[in-house]
Amino acid sequence: MENGGYVGDSSPANKKAIAELRGVSKSFGDVLAASDLNLSISAGEFLSFLGPSGCGKTTALRMLAGFETPTEGEVLLDGEVVNTLDAHHRPVNMVFQQYALFPHMTVAQNIGYGLRQRRPRLPKAQIAEKVTKALEIVRLSDFEDRKIWEMSGGQQQRVALARAIINEPKLLLLDEPMAALDRKLRKEMQIELQDLQRQLGITFVLVTHDQEEALSMSDRICIMREGRIVQIGSPQELYDRPNSRYVAGFVGTSNFFSGNVTDQNGGLATILLDNGMSVQGTPGVELAEGQDVCISVRPEQMKLHRQSDGVKVEVHNRIFLGEHTEYLVNHETLGDFLVLSPRQSELNEGGFEVGDQARVSWDASAALILNPN
Amino acid sequence: MRIYAICVYLFLYIPIGVIALFSFNAGRHASQLQGFSTKWYGKALNNPFVMDALETSLMVAFASALFASVFGTMAAVALQGIKGPVRTAFDLLIYVAVMIPGIVIGIATLIGLVTVFDQLNPLIASIWPNGFEPPKLRMGMGSLIAAHTMFLMALVVIIVRARLAGMDRALTEASSDLYATPMGTFRQVTLPLIFPAILAGFLLSFTFSFDDFIIAFFVAGSETTLPIYVFSSIRRGVTPEINAIGTMVMGVSLLMLITAQMLLRRGGKKTK
Ligand SMILES: Nc1ncnc2c1ncn2[C@@H]1O[C@H](COP(=O)(O)OP(=O)(O)O)[C@@H](O)[C@H]1O
Ligand SMILES: [Mg+2]
Repeated sequence: MENGGYVGDSSPANKKAIAELRGVSKSFGDVLAASDLNLSISAGEFLSFLGPSGCGKTTALRMLAGFETPTEGEVLLDGEVVNTLDAHHRPVNMVFQQYALFPHMTVAQNIGYGLRQRRPRLPKAQIAEKVTKALEIVRLSDFEDRKIWEMSGGQQQRVALARAIINEPKLLLLDEPMAALDRKLRKEMQIELQDLQRQLGITFVLVTHDQEEALSMSDRICIMREGRIVQIGSPQELYDRPNSRYVAGFVGTSNFFSGNVTDQNGGLATILLDNGMSVQGTPGVELAEGQDVCISVRPEQMKLHRQSDGVKVEVHNRIFLGEHTEYLVNHETLGDFLVLSPRQSELNEGGFEVGDQARVSWDASAALILNPN
Repeated sequence: MRIYAICVYLFLYIPIGVIALFSFNAGRHASQLQGFSTKWYGKALNNPFVMDALETSLMVAFASALFASVFGTMAAVALQGIKGPVRTAFDLLIYVAVMIPGIVIGIATLIGLVTVFDQLNPLIASIWPNGFEPPKLRMGMGSLIAAHTMFLMALVVIIVRARLAGMDRALTEASSDLYATPMGTFRQVTLPLIFPAILAGFLLSFTFSFDDFIIAFFVAGSETTLPIYVFSSIRRGVTPEINAIGTMVMGVSLLMLITAQMLLRRGGKKTK
């Protein structure tokens, strides 16, 4: 299967699509920044674009906002093609990566900016009232007359958020809004953003390269790679049923062993690993005999023990994490891999020290057979 | 190295210092100091020829600085939006306009305008209703303002462009994302943020125009600007009155340059 043109689960069933990308591509000269994007965003959901830097996330967002025109394909808002509709006509607002607050205006003036552009003009009192309310929502009530440069990074981010949500947009686009915040503040803002989204019912589209952020906040995640969407699904779907080694490695951590298909029967397939071992696994994608594949086993689905089944390993490193212990183990021909051992089983059966010989085994149902790239 | 630098500065500034010093000379000879007095300032300011020339200079400087600021800003903003060979060509032309010696601009403008006027004047006369005196295009205030505006516009473009380039593109995008039309964005975001640069450009232009002798010498026609007046007076010998005029012009220019510099610094910080 090709990576491109993934259309599988591009929209959750029976929900109204508020925005859609249909075969959208964008190139800048020779650079293909986005390629054949297909995606349907439904009203009220929290969707994330997740992928490494340079994979085209911002480009996708900017096409929704109206800052870039697709080279190919259609962008739809509320069922209408808006490819060439200017940004200032789109009922969509964006929180910029560096916030892009107006430095010559106060906090309140920044927040009221969108409302002041409405024609016919809104009464001043009404704007002031809405600004006050928006300030309350982002908990900045006493800061309305502050200058932008007098605000901290976290406060600036809230101003940017207030400036966008005050317009009650159909879509709120957020481009790595947490990237400039420190770790602790980031956690707080993540929770705050989620609360805000539920409270306001606005559709959120978030761009991030932080898998933890995407997993903890989103209803659905759209995994991107080199300008393409490789998989769309809920955090659980992506974690449990990744469709490629790339996704399995990007969403959570996993151990990978490459090999090729020798036999398929029933729900299982037999894989001849590169080191000559033969193992059983569950197909995660369509398979053909002889095909190069990769087996993915999550660390928590591997069992480290002293019985006689499984592969022989030596413990190279041990990190105690409280409810789990993480072991880095080495197998002569399979190489290094990670095993997570629950505290309870260690209490029952004893733990392991660095240098110990042990065995690792896993169920065939936990070994997902995927595309090797 | 340091001594060398000191010598260069002394060489540059001693003559200027001497002029300022002698402008307060009580005696009437420019070569010997005879006590302190401000009478030459009074004399200069009461001289109708000086005041006439000053008025012409101020009008020319104000008009050309104003035109240069407006057109220069428009050009800078427009250039921001285009790319490729057109942009490169304009960039090049703008730098050339700033670097060309004043004497070349002066001669070129003179020849160009005289040629055009010679072609146009008979044409105007021929279409003018009989019995009325047809207007005659000639060198004067208009040509002076035009020549200064042309050269100063390039200066303003460079100053404003530097500010525009330092401005985060996301700011104008944020504005249009918040429903402002392109005109609204220009008025509410771009203009306020580049205004210090425009003002600095205006002040610099004003100073350049006010101080200019070379271009004015060629295109002023029968008008006399202050530098032209000073030049023609010097031929009759340097008097303390001339020194007083020079000192005043220098003071005003210096003040404007410092203000412009401060505007450029302060505004630069704010857009970051
Ligand atoms: N305006 C542009 N001009 C040229 N190339 C661009 C432009 N914007 C983005 N790109 C290129 O497109 C690719 C995707 O960029 P982007 O969408 O910003 O990625 P991401 O947000 O995922 O980091 C990158 O290779 C980037 O260099
Ligand atoms: Mg980006």
